[in-house]
Amino acid sequence: MAKAELTILHLFPELLNLYGDTGNMLVLEKRLAWRGMQAHIIPVSLGQSIDLSSADIVFVGGGSDREQGIVGEELVKHTADFKAYAKDGGVLLAVCGGYQLLGHEYSLGENKLSGLGLLDIYTVRKTPRLIGNIACTTELFSQDVVGYENHGGRTYLGSDVTPFARVLHGFGNDGASGFEGARANRVIGTYIHGPLLPKNPELADWLLSQALERKGLDPVLSPLDDTAEKRANEYAAKLS
Amino acid sequence: MSFKTTLARVAARSARFILSRVLKREGAQLPGRIALAIDARFVEHMAGFLGQGVLVTCGTNGKTTTNNIVADALQKAGFSVVCNRSGANMAPGVAACLLDAKGCDWAVLEVDELSCKTLLEQLKPRAMLLLNLFRDQLDRAGEIDTIQAVLAEALTKTPETVLVCNADDPMSYNVALLSGVPCVFFGVEEEVASAQERVPEARFCQVCGEALTYRFRTYAQLGDYNCPRGDFSRPALQYGVTRICLESQGFSCAISGPDDTLFLSVGFGGLYMVYNVAGAYALSRLAGASDEAFVVAVQEYAPQNGRLQKYEIDGRDIVLNLAKNPTGFNQNISLMEVDAREKVAYFVINDNYNDGRDISWIYDVDFERLNDEQGLICFVGGTRALDMVVRLKYAGITSEVANNVSEVLAAAPDARPVYVLTNYSALWPKKAELDEMQKHHARDVCKKEAERG
Repeated sequence: MAKAELTILHLFPELLNLYGDTGNMLVLEKRLAWRGMQAHIIPVSLGQSIDLSSADIVFVGGGSDREQGIVGEELVKHTADFKAYAKDGGVLLAVCGGYQLLGHEYSLGENKLSGLGLLDIYTVRKTPRLIGNIACTTELFSQDVVGYENHGGRTYLGSDVTPFARVLHGFGNDGASGFEGARANRVIGTYIHGPLLPKNPELADWLLSQALERKGLDPVLSPLDDTAEKRANEYAAKLS
Repeated sequence: MSFKTTLARVAARSARFILSRVLKREGAQLPGRIALAIDARFVEHMAGFLGQGVLVTCGTNGKTTTNNIVADALQKAGFSVVCNRSGANMAPGVAACLLDAKGCDWAVLEVDELSCKTLLEQLKPRAMLLLNLFRDQLDRAGEIDTIQAVLAEALTKTPETVLVCNADDPMSYNVALLSGVPCVFFGVEEEVASAQERVPEARFCQVCGEALTYRFRTYAQLGDYNCPRGDFSRPALQYGVTRICLESQGFSCAISGPDDTLFLSVGFGGLYMVYNVAGAYALSRLAGASDEAFVVAVQEYAPQNGRLQKYEIDGRDIVLNLAKNPTGFNQNISLMEVDAREKVAYFVINDNYNDGRDISWIYDVDFERLNDEQGLICFVGGTRALDMVVRLKYAGITSEVANNVSEVLAAAPDARPVYVLTNYSALWPKKAELDEMQKHHARDVCKKEAERG
């Protein structure tokens, strides 16, 4: 029997890879491989077609405001496809700048970037930037979700979306609401930037499992030895 | 000298005397802080006493080594020089260095990129060397765009400064364009045979945003680039490097300047060092050093500052080097590759303020290349050792946590060379430990020889 395979679209890695975002692709690939499955990772460059019909997981990284502007313009051309993908239960993870582009719009002073509108959120750039280690908790996972955030945008949630997690320490969406990120069905956006998945193996496995389920494959993943990941997670959860 | 400056100088010198003679500490910062507290324009006032003026070295990677080579070359050429050799490159470090400026010909100073904002207009450098701009410490320094803007603006306030610029780096060249100061360009003239990084960083035209195309690349975003739309391309080189041959311990090359061609054999560093040396040569020549002085400076250069510093302890070669961002780390991995021996690696990553608190960048380092190393044994350390274990795990490499070099040596098989690569704040503790070990080792060897004799 052929190996089970998931197709993972990595959108615009050449523009949205500000903080080691490709680490996330590495984690998805390895955690499939360690279970005898295969990741087919497709880096999608600017100007290339985005084939969401064959995608099992889509990842959008973070970039500077300038790069995000370029990407945003490109993305909104595909709004209908992305909306259909999300409606069909497609798995999508976006971090930092990518998260902001999932919302209705991102206001940068006088400029406004239109987003995909996959999540009922909007973002406004303010000062100061919210920078530092962050830990938050979600009922999806037993361990805290940990990492680093660095964003000028404040993101506000509408009524059709739930927060991805609740902030234990750090800033999260706006530094005030106590919410971090947003989730609707299998679409997750978060300000925890760069290599989010290495220290959050439960989130990595959740994405894989959801994608397998949507594809009609067995969503139950065999356990892995995550001692190293868990220790790094616990250490990071204590960083302020 | 004004009363304020005199007072600042006396107070700071006294502090330095107490620090170094009484407390046996290196006074690279505190005396400078004292001087600046008394005279806020201390740097400007002291720079005015130099016979020739100020030379500045700037850029993300390679400042300390390059700046020290320039200082050495000028000294060999007969100039008197002050230099912030240990790499204290923000305002207090620069001020402390200038305590001794009076009566000297040159101050050869490395200056932190963001600190150029306030320091350049005070120093009014005769020339500034810009080595490269890579992503580094994004949480502290911001994105490269920010640094480019700071440097360009600082330079517009010192319009007479000659910018010695790495033409192969599109990010640095853009600073040259934005600043409008007179420029001297250095770079590599021909393609170099070397292991390429797995994912070369894509770079974009600094004018229109189109992806740059390259006639060849050397490393990271460096190379002979041009924009397909024709609005941005590498400028002609005044100092062009050819005939580069990378060896297990250093490299040889030829640098063609406006006057002559210099053939060099350098006993340390890899491809990144070719650029450092070419930049140092261009700057030294501008400041009046001869080829002969420069060659002697390079040949005698023995790093004592934790930058590619070599130790021999118990018959084992140990190399200590700074690796504080993806590009620096990738260049260090290239250095390990040209050393064919089976080896031990010790990666030490801290997340203190001056390292950048965010260590996401370890996922931009091509640790995957280490899989080609036969029999490599890996240790990790520093405040983020556990993150490094995970990073290496996903690169397919097993590692163990070690708290210091002694633990590594105790756990690793004899005789294998050890590469200790650390980021900024981890460097000095490891250097202190290695210096101490070497001192003890030397003492033991003397004792044994005395017993034998």
